[in-house]
Amino acid sequence: MIITMLTGGGEEQIESLENAARRHTQAGDVFRRLLNNKLGMIGLCIVIVLLFLTIFSGVVTKFPYEEQDFGNRFQFPDPVHIMGTDNFGRDIWSRLVYGGRISLLVAVISVAISLTCGVILGSVAGYFGGKVDITIMRILDILMAIPGLLMAIAVSAMLGSGPVKTAMAISISGIPASARLIRSTVMSIKSNEYVEAAVATGSTNRRVIFRHILPNVIAPIIVNSTLGIGGNIMAISGLSFIGLGVQPPTPEWGSILSSGRPYLRDFWPMIVFPSLFIMLTLFAFNLLGDALRDALDPKLKK
Amino acid sequence: MAELLRVEHLKKYFPTPAGMLHAVDDVSFTVETGTTLGVVGESGCGKSTLGRTVLRLLNPTDGKIIFDGRDITKIKGKELQNLRREMQIIFQDPFSSLNPRFSVSELISDPLRTFKLCRTAADRKKRVYELMDLVGLARRFENSYPHELDGGRRQRIGIARALSLDPKFIVCDEPVSALDVSIQAQILNLLQDLQESVGLTYIFVTHDMSVVRHISDDILVMYVGAMLEKSPSKELFKKPLHPYTKGLLSAIPIPSIDVPKTKVVLQGELSSPIEPKKQCRFCPRCPYADERCQNEVPAYEEVLPNHFVACHKVREINGL
Amino acid sequence: MNLLEIKDLSIHYVTKEGTFKSVNHVNLELEEGETIGLVGETGAGKTTTALGILRLLQSPPAKIVSGEILFKGTDLLKVSEEEMQKIRGNDIAMIFQDPMTALNPIMRVGDQITEVIELHNDCTHEEARKRMRNMLELVGINVERAREFPHQFSGGMKQRVVIAMALACNPHLLIADEPTTALDVTIQAQVLEMMNELKEKLGTSMILITHDLGIVASNCDKVAIMYAGEIVEYGSLEQIFHHISHPYTEGLFNSIPSLDKDVDRLKPIKGLMPDPSALPEGCKFNPRCQYCTEKCRTTEPPLYEIQPGHLVRCLRYGEEGQ
Repeated sequence: MIITMLTGGGEEQIESLENAARRHTQAGDVFRRLLNNKLGMIGLCIVIVLLFLTIFSGVVTKFPYEEQDFGNRFQFPDPVHIMGTDNFGRDIWSRLVYGGRISLLVAVISVAISLTCGVILGSVAGYFGGKVDITIMRILDILMAIPGLLMAIAVSAMLGSGPVKTAMAISISGIPASARLIRSTVMSIKSNEYVEAAVATGSTNRRVIFRHILPNVIAPIIVNSTLGIGGNIMAISGLSFIGLGVQPPTPEWGSILSSGRPYLRDFWPMIVFPSLFIMLTLFAFNLLGDALRDALDPKLKK
Repeated sequence: MAELLRVEHLKKYFPTPAGMLHAVDDVSFTVETGTTLGVVGESGCGKSTLGRTVLRLLNPTDGKIIFDGRDITKIKGKELQNLRREMQIIFQDPFSSLNPRFSVSELISDPLRTFKLCRTAADRKKRVYELMDLVGLARRFENSYPHELDGGRRQRIGIARALSLDPKFIVCDEPVSALDVSIQAQILNLLQDLQESVGLTYIFVTHDMSVVRHISDDILVMYVGAMLEKSPSKELFKKPLHPYTKGLLSAIPIPSIDVPKTKVVLQGELSSPIEPKKQCRFCPRCPYADERCQNEVPAYEEVLPNHFVACHKVREINGL
Repeated sequence: MNLLEIKDLSIHYVTKEGTFKSVNHVNLELEEGETIGLVGETGAGKTTTALGILRLLQSPPAKIVSGEILFKGTDLLKVSEEEMQKIRGNDIAMIFQDPMTALNPIMRVGDQITEVIELHNDCTHEEARKRMRNMLELVGINVERAREFPHQFSGGMKQRVVIAMALACNPHLLIADEPTTALDVTIQAQVLEMMNELKEKLGTSMILITHDLGIVASNCDKVAIMYAGEIVEYGSLEQIFHHISHPYTEGLFNSIPSLDKDVDRLKPIKGLMPDPSALPEGCKFNPRCQYCTEKCRTTEPPLYEIQPGHLVRCLRYGEEGQ
């Protein structure tokens, strides 16, 4: 609300009236603003549904995901197999729901790893500048020069396969991009006088970074991570495709999609359904990310 | 009166690709307790850098800063952090100087948290209310965010934040130049009241000559990093000695149609502070400049009692 | 005939949050060769009025609710957009506060001025370039600098370039919106002196928007003091400066620290500018006015002519007149 004209002396008089209405906590504010965002709520619902499906996979599926039934290969959707069966006669719905566990888990972990590293490196480089900045950024430049997938292949060849190891392999190639983003944002925020004010009132470097700078970097962090989740799901499938990611018969969205590629012309369910899941996930995370970014910005308070 | 701050031959250079930028070049002055030193000059003259260097927000390249009898030029760590409790700053821009994610009470109490000055949340709240009352900010704004408030109120938050640690000394860096005239007058009155009631000492950095005359006891005139003139405020306006000060004073548009305009319009523009030549900084624009001015940096001398000028020809020009 | 006559102009911004009454019933008259100073604080509606004259307001949200803007007898609010485009630059030019953003950073300064001339005049490239060189000389810039880019100019020099551009087509009316606010005092003095000289030489009329009464004193013939979208006092320079009549004008003068008198404390206007979406009833200045009476809170004051040509929007003068 825009503060209207009030004379200097008269301000106190209506204080008591407004005071009651103005008591609220910051977390409550953020939550309230999030609830008011319709698109954000759609995103949140989709994410919740996806999480529910993957956590309670056993309840929502009729067939085990690895059960092959060669008599029932390439079945189009019907009441028994609601999304049809694949080239080994496995239930696509079961595979997708179980596959969500791996895809989502690995995507989220890898985004978390690359963001954590990116935030630490980026904020240190951006805040301190000078030699620290040059050293960190040149190392990251070298890392960036190696193609992402190649790096992931090399790392997972070294670490071996498995969800966490795959996540680590993918996250490394994501570090330079997020570190660069954080660094430039930190540098622009650092030039604000309120950061200088914090130093002038005795804040230590750590306090300045954590209390004054990072909360203001949150918008690009959130946008970056929601986009990152989508990209990472694709990267996992890339790794799985060449046999370094998640090993069959463990289902995973990307690998289901790539295994359906040879049958693209004649059997659409193997392409459409996994694509649908990936798309829905990206869509939901993007909506949620945008809504979160808005909710965390006190300037948009209404 | 006791001397609170003494600055001796202070220099602050910044490295740039084109060479050393002499932002503050050999500046010396003293400030007595409870008084205000006005620092005036045009943009890029180093007045803001001077204020920040004195506070040790920037590290001086050379020179000495003695605060309250203590040499603070080189202190660091815990000692420097504790110094912050005694010296504060008020910024020009009431928008960028307040963290947009903090509410008013969080902004004002942030320094209290940093120094863990209040043991309980209730203590802290009490102190925030005290400060809000002191700067004339209605308590109902405690949960507002800075973007919801106008420039004048935001500037009051900045002042309350600076006062929260009970400092003795405050650098005011153009605190009113972003505000409308009527609000500007309110804030100037507030700063004056605070000086009287709390006994603060100010360095008041500004480009506005009428504001600086109103609030300062002494005035220091800077030009491209160098100090050209320092004298008690009234005397400077009555009898400016340096040709730059004369030009500066006559350039001010006076809100009156009765004053005959005898304008000395200074020609030319400010010279670059990067690797300046060994000469009087003002000589490219000075109507009196001669060969000596172009080859020799003028010494800073007490031409009249308490009136310091750095100009080779000051006696000649003013018939002293 | 007056060059410009604004009659009963009201401009509102209609948004979801409400209607912001930015300009309310403004009347202005400007004769050939005259300079009028439009004085007021942030949000007084000065810039909106100026943009309204040029029809440069973004609509929506801006909406011209009522009024006429007669320029040489034609109502600018009724002409077509194409005709308006011809009038802009040719007959009426505008200078903005920030010279940094008014120039294209990747175009040579000389080319930018030439382009403006070619756009508005039917002339050859050579003629336009010749005129550009004349303009640069006129504003005191060495012609050789025409080949340079804006970033090679200082702030004062850039503002000179902007002025040269605005005057390149010999406009009859120049609207200058805080032309020297971004400049240093000594540079401001240079630019103001140059503008005064140019005005005499070219006979251009000018609307000078400013918050600095000092600039008004040295550059204007007439003054209009604006508050909350209304003109609260209007008169010749002499009338305004010698017979300060409206309480707001008085407050403005009292807020400026004096350069020759010693004042211990300033007497600022209390309170703040009203929110244009919730203007007070009666006199818009009443919550901040030291002379406010019961009547001021309910009755909207009209403009009283207290002297020929000196208009004041304050009820105190109504009683005297009766």
